[in-house]
Amino acid sequence: MPFEELEHTADVKMRITASGFSGLLSESGFALSQVTYGTYPREAPSLSVGIEAEGKTREELCVNFLSELLVIMETEYLVPVAFSLTVSAGPEEIQTGAAENRGKLTVSGTVSGVEFEREKHAGGIGVKGISYSGLTLRRVETGCELIIIFDI
Amino acid sequence: MNDKIRKLTETEWEIPKGFVEGMRVPGRFFLSETLAASIEDGALTQLGNVACLPGILKNSLGMPDIHWGYGFPIGGVAAFDETEGVISPGGVGFDINCGVRMITTPLTEKDLTDKPGLISELYDAVPVGVGAKSPVRLSQKDLTSLMEEGSSYAVELGYGMKSDIEHCEENGRLEGADISAVSDKARKRGIPQCGTPGSGNDFLELQKAAKIFDAETAKVYGVEEGQICVMIHCGSRGLGHQVCTDHLKVLEEAADRYGIALPDRQLACAPLASKEGEAYFGGMAAAANYAWANRQFITHIVRKIFEKRFGIAYEEMPLVYDVAHNVAKHEEHITDGIRRKVCVHRKGATRAFAPGSPEVPAAYRAAGQPVIIPGSMGTPSYLLAGTVAAMERTFGSTCHGAGRLKSRSGAKKMQTGEEVAASLLEQGIVVKAPNAAAIAEESPAVYKPSSEVVKCVADAGLSRIICRMKPLGVIKG
Repeated sequence: MPFEELEHTADVKMRITASGFSGLLSESGFALSQVTYGTYPREAPSLSVGIEAEGKTREELCVNFLSELLVIMETEYLVPVAFSLTVSAGPEEIQTGAAENRGKLTVSGTVSGVEFEREKHAGGIGVKGISYSGLTLRRVETGCELIIIFDI
Repeated sequence: MNDKIRKLTETEWEIPKGFVEGMRVPGRFFLSETLAASIEDGALTQLGNVACLPGILKNSLGMPDIHWGYGFPIGGVAAFDETEGVISPGGVGFDINCGVRMITTPLTEKDLTDKPGLISELYDAVPVGVGAKSPVRLSQKDLTSLMEEGSSYAVELGYGMKSDIEHCEENGRLEGADISAVSDKARKRGIPQCGTPGSGNDFLELQKAAKIFDAETAKVYGVEEGQICVMIHCGSRGLGHQVCTDHLKVLEEAADRYGIALPDRQLACAPLASKEGEAYFGGMAAAANYAWANRQFITHIVRKIFEKRFGIAYEEMPLVYDVAHNVAKHEEHITDGIRRKVCVHRKGATRAFAPGSPEVPAAYRAAGQPVIIPGSMGTPSYLLAGTVAAMERTFGSTCHGAGRLKSRSGAKKMQTGEEVAASLLEQGIVVKAPNAAAIAEESPAVYKPSSEVVKCVADAGLSRIICRMKPLGVIKG
């Protein structure tokens, strides 16, 4: 599993891993879907919506990307199935503390999914916002790891 | 307990300056010995961090339901000087004006011959949780009006009674709403959700007034022992969450620009008198007004069901009161012997104004402001009254609920939702939610006992206990 829930008293704290940064963004999107809907479906998508975010750091880009995704999920009633993302600037691997992590970074692409159905997708809990609290992004042996809290 | 923390009385503790570098005032929090055993170090550090913010007055305060939050701890209160002070979304939270209201009915428990049927009917009529779409259809113009007018606009549309308005904190309308500070994304999130509770700890609860502690005040509030009541707990939904998200970005940069050293990024803030600070206040006020309207719409739906099901009149279900839990407000308080305008942040805390306060509705003024403290699904809720001591020590504030003790993931490992629901049913409490996990995560076992929290605020003199309400049926989102 590329993500797991960690202990947190009030909110939901997730540990997400991937081999590269754009993959990490996709996996963090699936983690958000898992928390919100209790699932992320493996079926053919029927909806597709553009998504864009920017940030001065990769951490900020993660928060802004997930905040955008949250808006899309809530307003388009979309349950994510697939992401097609392009991250501008910087190497794929995480260079913690290095200059490559700074400057204006952007992510753009599409999120595809299926329409929310109460019977299938009401197994989760609504996320109010994406928190900087305790956020860490670092290189690990298998690629990169994001620890992030979803405010419930 | 950290050894730097000083115990002042049986219920009051002090975090000295220096506990966190840069503290401008000491921190104070209210906990009994029993509750003190469960306080997290992170929450204490957060109280210390808040004490570092410019313009903070007297103390950074923690109520007995304190726990680790975003920026401020949950259960945190801080007042800031209007000239020197700041405003911070971290002192309000994502769910702006998350709050609670209580209505009474002329029914008693013997009238509830089909409690599961009633809970199901309410569950079907009031969509809850993820993906909930409100039965209330709002135009963009309606949305603008309700962000400006709050509860009174909902009443104007036919969703309530005029008396509801005066029984809301601030009459259900925070002045200073700035519609231009609410983004299109926030509006888009808000339109379909107004008239729905969210998920997590939002709820709609059927209760019985189980024990009256102060008959005189209970009479003033219109509550009788044995009476069936309904409690509604929710906030500004996606609209408020988006207002917070949007303004956090702006205020993070503003803090840098104004040279405010932040001990924690989550305390992003700006001077109250700055354009960024004013814009956040305007957006937050608009979201707060949306939240009051949200609770008003839900109240109306509940009343219509009771009216039809039990043959009682709409007017026989008055609103006792509606309080905000997550809000920043301009209020007048006395500090250092001087009455001054301050901006009070309450993050998971409740206003608890004393008898005689002009902000308290005329009918309640002699008794003090009603304070509604929800329990968990299996523990009682309470109706309290504000006190002079709260005005003097906590800027007229008290606790807001039981306060979480255990994580959601931990809760699910302890018991399944089905087991929690069965255990509650044995106690006569019917629970309905979109999924079993939601019930498990909100199990009574993961909250502090509400009676201990309420006893602590009463012992500390921050509120008086008026009535205890027993849960009979709960709808969770």
